[in-house]
Amino acid sequence: MIRNKSMKRATLASAIVATSAMVLSIVPAHANSTGVTATTIKLGVSTPLTGSAGLVYGKVPGAMRAYFDYINANGGVNGRKISLVIRDDKYLPTLAATQTTNLILKDKVFALVGALGTATHSKAYTAAALAKNNVPDLFINTGFSGFTNKAKYPTTFMVLPTYNMEAKVMAKVIKDNFPGQATFLIAQDDEFGADGVAGFTTAGHKFTASPTLYPQGTMTAARAEGALATLGAIPGKPVLVLFGTTDVTATILKAAEKLELTKKFTFLAGSVGADANTLLALGVKSTTVDGIVSASFMPDAKDLTDPYVKQFVDINTKYNKGITFDNYVLAGMNSAMLTVQALRAAGKNLTRAGLMSAIEAKGSTFASAGLVPLGYSATSRVGYNGYWVSQLNAKGEGKPYGGKLVIYTTDSGAGAVEVSNFVRPTMPKNGIPTNS
Amino acid sequence: MKKADKVRKPITTRKRLFLFVLFGWLLLILGDRVGDLELYQGSFVATYALGITSVILLTGYSGQLSLGQSALMAVGAYAGALSIFNAGWHPVIGLIMSALVAGVFGLVLGLVAARLSGPYLAGTTLALAISLPTLANQFPILGAEEGIVFDVGLPPARFGEEFSQYKWFFWISALAALIMVFFIVNLLSSRYGRTFKAVRDNPVAAQLAGINVGRLKVNAFAISSGVAGLSGGLLVMLISGVSPSAFPLSLSFSLLGAAVVTGLYSLKGVILGGLVLVAIPEIADSLVSRIGGSESFTTVLPGFIVSALLILAVVFTPNGPGHLLKKHH
Repeated sequence: MIRNKSMKRATLASAIVATSAMVLSIVPAHANSTGVTATTIKLGVSTPLTGSAGLVYGKVPGAMRAYFDYINANGGVNGRKISLVIRDDKYLPTLAATQTTNLILKDKVFALVGALGTATHSKAYTAAALAKNNVPDLFINTGFSGFTNKAKYPTTFMVLPTYNMEAKVMAKVIKDNFPGQATFLIAQDDEFGADGVAGFTTAGHKFTASPTLYPQGTMTAARAEGALATLGAIPGKPVLVLFGTTDVTATILKAAEKLELTKKFTFLAGSVGADANTLLALGVKSTTVDGIVSASFMPDAKDLTDPYVKQFVDINTKYNKGITFDNYVLAGMNSAMLTVQALRAAGKNLTRAGLMSAIEAKGSTFASAGLVPLGYSATSRVGYNGYWVSQLNAKGEGKPYGGKLVIYTTDSGAGAVEVSNFVRPTMPKNGIPTNS
Repeated sequence: MKKADKVRKPITTRKRLFLFVLFGWLLLILGDRVGDLELYQGSFVATYALGITSVILLTGYSGQLSLGQSALMAVGAYAGALSIFNAGWHPVIGLIMSALVAGVFGLVLGLVAARLSGPYLAGTTLALAISLPTLANQFPILGAEEGIVFDVGLPPARFGEEFSQYKWFFWISALAALIMVFFIVNLLSSRYGRTFKAVRDNPVAAQLAGINVGRLKVNAFAISSGVAGLSGGLLVMLISGVSPSAFPLSLSFSLLGAAVVTGLYSLKGVILGGLVLVAIPEIADSLVSRIGGSESFTTVLPGFIVSALLILAVVFTPNGPGHLLKKHH
């Protein structure tokens, strides 16, 4: 029974606790609200460090920090050292919103860099009022084409090509290399997969059967075996396009191993789902990995003949101790290298607006490990705007399909897929940008 | 006669209203004196307090164990978002729809689950928590993983330019929570509310006393769902949009855990529960930054603190901190 005095006591106690906790948690206002001082630049990232997404993508922020540490040890950017505040959002929209808000209001970062995930970051962008506060939102790790909408995300710069572009390039690869074969698509049932399906449709590619769509986290071994058993009866060597994350690619490949169908299909895996190290770590046999065709825009993380990869491996050994170098570490360091060039291009008098203008004006000329061109301009916030096609070998190394590096570029609209003669900018000496 | 045995005069609705208005007034003053970050955190406290209220109402007062509160919150969130984004209704109507639609959904679910109790009901609601948000991906109108925008709009211009988005969130969530909790507290102190406890403590005796146990449980489920729905609506208002992954199973467990910490049999500590959920990651954050730990330490510390709090609560205050206070007097 609710009694008079106890009710009052409880109400008062709750009020006092609430009041004191909130008052105690007030943080004194920072002297420099933009996160830039004469000697420091504070950047922030909200990204999954734990949970299933954290297992795969958790290395990215550490790799960014390692590269920044390397730059700091070599004089920083215009005399300023870069610090990176990393917050774990577990790939949950609510946490992404609160952690990003914390980065802006509590940590008072100058800019965000490398935020990951579509559902998470789209919520965080609005909740943390990034547009209103004009906070640069650099090199986000999602290929959702919605982020190219400058009106909706005025401060966002993508780095990945869009999933839509990837699907268009894949359609071209199928048309050129596997004519006459049946083709099937297994895709994640969300904006990621939908973007991909839309890309195939735009490219005019028709699959032999309707795409198999699965909500994230629901592709079990049994479901994968069921899907493959049906497709196994198709004559010839069908092309099976996998448009999902690497853990799902592993589940499907292991199902193929169990059903002894690994040589039955040509597996064409999207860039998000073809990390060879992860596939091998998840128990996929090297003989199964051998031959997988994939679209990519970065060099292979195992290719030590690539000067960028070699440099990043050296930085990883020294500044990211105990972490195995792979595609995720490569991606993280590459985004950090782009960030350093953007900060340099913005000049000594660093402002948020100046940083974004600098990327729009000079971003397409930045040096980076990517083998395809960067598409930044006054009207475009797209990062890499194309792909090259690789084939994994038994060691998990990605080599140009057919023995020759062919770079395809396209857009997220109805534009054609074209072969590009793009030549990547030479890496700055020791991987330390000197641009202005 | 001992003091404790004295029959106390029940608190009247008018007095209760006065206390709630006073508390709201205090919050209003407080809202003017803290920064945007604290206002945003305060909004989450109010939202989670409502979620915990729904758990206490269902589990503590009517004796039904649900692990599906996150799914019911999702129903409310989607109902509110569709009302605002698709139907173009006023945000206030949207939040009312959050509560109403989730309430009706809970009513149907309650009818289905009326024959279940204990672990069977827990299992059914657990399945709901896992499956329902994912189902949202199957219907294009629900916007798949990117979800739907939940925009309550800018604060009215008459509040001035200094009136931030976060203060607006705080006003809305605190007011909605106060109104709903006031309604629930009144309901529970009524004759009807007392029958809830009678059914929880001894269903057979309650039935012999003429109470329709089945109907009562269904009603409790519906009301609890309505409260959870409003909480879901507020939650997605704070993150500006609804999507399936905003309602993970862990949310259900967090709310249940917070309800146990604050006392399952009383609504007195719901704000404390909300504070626990919001403040613990902050405490972990500042602890780690003070002792210089890594991010990985920050990520595991909140879970450790919640676990420790749960154990301490079960051992020392099984009926909530409110009862502990009373015992000491």
